[in-house]
Amino acid sequence: MSQPYLRFENLTKVYERGQVVALKNVSFSVEKGEFLVIIGLSGSGKSTLLRCINRLIEPSAGQIFVDGVDVTQLSSARMRRVRRKIGMIFQHFNLINRSTVLTNTLSGRLGYMSAWRSLLGLFTKEDKKLAIQNLARVGLEDKAYARADELSGGQQQRVGIARALMQNPDLLLTDEPVSALDPATSHSVMQYLEQMNQEDGVTVLASLHFLSLARRYGTRIIALKGGELMFDGSPSEIDEAKFKEIYGDEAEEVEVR
Amino acid sequence: MRSPADDFQYQPPNLLTLEGFGEALGMLRKRMAERLSPFFLDLVLVAILWVLITYGVSWIVWKEVHYSLVPTWVFLVGILETVALWESFGQSLGYRVARKTLLGESRAKPTFRQRIVYYLLFHISVFPIIGLAWKRPLHERISGLSVAHNVRGGEKPAPWYRTSSGILVALLMAAILATTFSVTIESDTWRRFLANPSKAGRIFKALVSPDFSFWQDAVFKLIETIYMAIMATLIGVLVAAPLSFFAARNLTRTPVARLFYTLIRGILSFFRSIEPIVWAIVFLVWVGPGRNPFAGFLALLIHSIADLTKLYSERLESIETGPVEAITATGGSWLSVLRYAVIPQIINPYISFSLYRWDINIRMSTIVGLVGGGGIGQLLLLLLRAQRFSQAAICVYLIAMLVWGIDTLSSRLRRYYERGRIIQEEVAEESA
Repeated sequence: MSQPYLRFENLTKVYERGQVVALKNVSFSVEKGEFLVIIGLSGSGKSTLLRCINRLIEPSAGQIFVDGVDVTQLSSARMRRVRRKIGMIFQHFNLINRSTVLTNTLSGRLGYMSAWRSLLGLFTKEDKKLAIQNLARVGLEDKAYARADELSGGQQQRVGIARALMQNPDLLLTDEPVSALDPATSHSVMQYLEQMNQEDGVTVLASLHFLSLARRYGTRIIALKGGELMFDGSPSEIDEAKFKEIYGDEAEEVEVR
Repeated sequence: MRSPADDFQYQPPNLLTLEGFGEALGMLRKRMAERLSPFFLDLVLVAILWVLITYGVSWIVWKEVHYSLVPTWVFLVGILETVALWESFGQSLGYRVARKTLLGESRAKPTFRQRIVYYLLFHISVFPIIGLAWKRPLHERISGLSVAHNVRGGEKPAPWYRTSSGILVALLMAAILATTFSVTIESDTWRRFLANPSKAGRIFKALVSPDFSFWQDAVFKLIETIYMAIMATLIGVLVAAPLSFFAARNLTRTPVARLFYTLIRGILSFFRSIEPIVWAIVFLVWVGPGRNPFAGFLALLIHSIADLTKLYSERLESIETGPVEAITATGGSWLSVLRYAVIPQIINPYISFSLYRWDINIRMSTIVGLVGGGGIGQLLLLLLRAQRFSQAAICVYLIAMLVWGIDTLSSRLRRYYERGRIIQEEVAEESA
């Protein structure tokens, strides 16, 4: 059997000289084309796990293999080349507020450009065409020249998706993509992610807070508690008892429809 | 099985490597500063209070200036003991500001006995400072007390007049007011201020009858002043903008960069602490007579660079990290992150700060002129010395008009830029 697309081996992250353990010996693997949902309480290590993959956060110990390459050992130049095939979507969108939607979308191409071209903002015609296409795909072609901070939350997150699409990614990391959005907008954003997963064959890792969204969109769920992997299985396997185990006894499930 | 995570649980810095040694020094510095700053705050407050009360009392009683009526060593021992007592038995101002309080084991209220032990050992642990190097200093260890974070619970805090720090601060303000008034009212200056306004009468008379025939010379010098200010601001911006990246804490994390940071910050705060007027005198001596506007320009420039770098770098330190993360995640290089995530966030504040500095430089250039740094300020000085007051009046009016005009202009422009309504970059049409 061929090796899995993404593999974590004893991944450990410790902050503040050992005082806070964010991830403890996390090992699992992800096959190509999966929609993996990561659940867990705030502070359980979901964001840290995602950020270790593209090394926005340096892991303290352990290995992460992306397509067979141990990214924890890469030099910064080679890491950049890996990063450009890994899209990322953030809870607070992380757009450049003062720039236009188009510039924000185009910034997804920066990993593919030479230093001087990116410095002068010389995006190629093909890139610009692609940007408009991707904006049209998320339904924002009529907002291309608006400033990013003039958009609503849901629209901003869709710009985030367009930016990730520009990277032509193999892997998409989404860190609580809908926590800042209302339920209706949440579903629209999640459907774009689902579309990327099913139509473009992008492997998606998404941390989510709502179990109903996790069940609806995920093909597989893992749960973190206190930095440790405590569940790994299909969405249907999470029942009342498992839920209480992950979120604590006092938790009630909240539905998002 | 031992997991990698266990290895990270406790990891003291390795003193054998240079890096570890530096880290240990940094930790020590942080810990000492944390404990010493409340102590010094209390010390300064008590010392100022003592000096002020002595000063006021001796002036009122004996009409003489005394700062401390006791030998210096008594004064020093006195304030140190007061602070030790205050910090051991009460909630001192330093502790209040640092949100700390003295607590026993498991956050119990300290007993009187514990406080006495704490107070006595304070002398051998805190006064020689070295005692604070330990993670838990001797006086805390033996008395069983520790300086802990002051958690405010549900109980209502005491009103200021029932806390020792509130009373002491009130006392300090009362002492300042009392000494200021008693010293000025008792002296001769008040009487003179009220008795001879006629001495300045000639100057006031000239103000209402300015010599208008003089305006051309004055305007010429005014242009020189504006020119000085614009040049100083422009070159100041060009130097300060790149410099600010090395003076921002969040962008200088490597040891070499941190060295630059410390160096630049240190030198600039030294430049800033000396007034432009003093710099003008220094440069007048330096570049010699005959090239006065150049001396004024240099004085303004050096201050502009120091001031702008500080303002700029503080703005850089407060940028949002989200966009930086996002551009890094797309695989963008360090330059791309700077160009797309950092610069869009700082460009408008930078413009706004520069306009503000231009405004200051215009006002400052007349002051710099007063010591001979060229421009209309210098002209004003010469006219006042020659007692040609009606010609000086023209200069005064011109300066007032200029300052008012620049003030209005720069505040309008700044409001415009702070709202961030700048023309968006043009993107090629065919892509639409």
